[in-house]
Amino acid sequence: MEITGKIIIIDDNPDYLFTMATFLKRNGFETLTAGDGQKGIDLIEKEQPDLILLDVMMESIYSGLDVCKKVRTNSDLKDIPIIGISGMGDELGVRLEKWGDEDYFKVNEFFEKPVDKEKLLPRIKALLEEGLINKGKAVRIGGKLYPKK
Amino acid sequence: MNTMESKDGIIAQPDNSGIISELGFRAILDLLPCYLSIQDRSLQILFTNENFRKDFGEGIGKLCHMAYKGSSDICKSCPVQKSFKDRKVHISEEDVHLSNGKTAQLVVYSAPILDVSGNVSAVIEMSTNITQVKEIQKELAFLGQSLAILSHDIKNILEGLQGGAYVVDEGIKDGDMELAGKGWDIVKRNIGEISTIAQNILYSSKKRDPKVQKVSPDEMVKDVVGLFLEKSTVLGIQLKHRSNPALPMVNLDPTNIRRMLHNLIWNALEACKKDKKKRTHTVIVRADFHDRFHFKFEVEDNGVGMAEEAKENIFKEFFSTKGSEGTGLGLMVVDKIAKEHGGWVEVMSAPGKGTIFRVILRMR
Repeated sequence: MEITGKIIIIDDNPDYLFTMATFLKRNGFETLTAGDGQKGIDLIEKEQPDLILLDVMMESIYSGLDVCKKVRTNSDLKDIPIIGISGMGDELGVRLEKWGDEDYFKVNEFFEKPVDKEKLLPRIKALLEEGLINKGKAVRIGGKLYPKK
Repeated sequence: MNTMESKDGIIAQPDNSGIISELGFRAILDLLPCYLSIQDRSLQILFTNENFRKDFGEGIGKLCHMAYKGSSDICKSCPVQKSFKDRKVHISEEDVHLSNGKTAQLVVYSAPILDVSGNVSAVIEMSTNITQVKEIQKELAFLGQSLAILSHDIKNILEGLQGGAYVVDEGIKDGDMELAGKGWDIVKRNIGEISTIAQNILYSSKKRDPKVQKVSPDEMVKDVVGLFLEKSTVLGIQLKHRSNPALPMVNLDPTNIRRMLHNLIWNALEACKKDKKKRTHTVIVRADFHDRFHFKFEVEDNGVGMAEEAKENIFKEFFSTKGSEGTGLGLMVVDKIAKEHGGWVEVMSAPGKGTIFRVILRMR
């Protein structure tokens, strides 16, 4: 079963939005982009994506971490997997300490920029697979994924 | 104030054997490279050494908190009172006021002096000036912070180069030259960004005399604004230039002035990009007369603006108000270039309103 889905990318760097969207589209995903946290939240609420790629260090009225909190505390959105992206690596640990260790700041995966797209792709597919299984839309048999009828 | 309990270290009062005369002791104490005072139980100063008198004035008879700090209140966690109470050596850090009006930071040791009956009759207070050490500590903290920010910036640029190169490859693979062209634009933009960072680091790391020649401020403004037109269009920011045509040719180092204008315009565009409250953003770059002897370059934006604290620190190396973006080197370089030309920089800004940077230089 081919894994596909709708992915929203939220980042304040327009070049990154374009290149990541190009990469994901060419790998079979439907992609939507938002250049700040507020637009990101609006898009997530409207489109109910299958996965979110989020710049956690984005500084705007709604920061990346604010977006994360908004998603995690919304009963309709809280199970959407979030991959956090940032140019800050270890420093992100400090940032999350500042905000606290609450669950609503947790991301499913974290990638540091520059993102290794060869490693990103299988992780996106794994999270989307898990989502399909959790929603009862697919089942894994003998290591292969099959749609559930 | 940091206070530490120390191990027992009771200093004994000299006996009356006369091995070292009183004058001899005084001479030794005057030679000590620290401040020294002796206080009684009411905190009145009984003795001071020469270093103390040089920086705090005549202290004998004064209460120690008045002499050191100009304060009528006893210091919180006073180490002298502690030594009186528990007969131990105590260490603390204190901010004091010198008689020249400056403040200083001291590390203070207080130790009890015992009389022949073993009672604490006085406490000796020895202090070392650590103001410079504290400054260096602060600079190192800034440096650590800025290296983290620099690393973040470089990683973002690498992402841009890698992503742009990917798009170029995919465009070529598909024979889609429009896609390849978009990727190449991204690569070029990020090469420009890393070049700016590298040049700012290089510029800030060494002293250089300006290589002056007669140039037109108006032409300089037009040149540098031209370099930013594409970026401002992509960001949806209006970038304009206005110059007074009556401005004469002036002696400037054109390379450095271009760098200075480049950094100011870059910052202005970033400030507009960060502002999410206004629907339209504008950056205006001007060259005009300032007074009879000076002219000015001005860069005005209606971006996020700066709070007072930020305005006080912006020219400090690596200080940045940009959060996760920007090393802050850019404005330090602007300040450096202005000073090298015998000029100065003024900043007017308010949070949410925008900022004007004004560089005033001599007309000669």
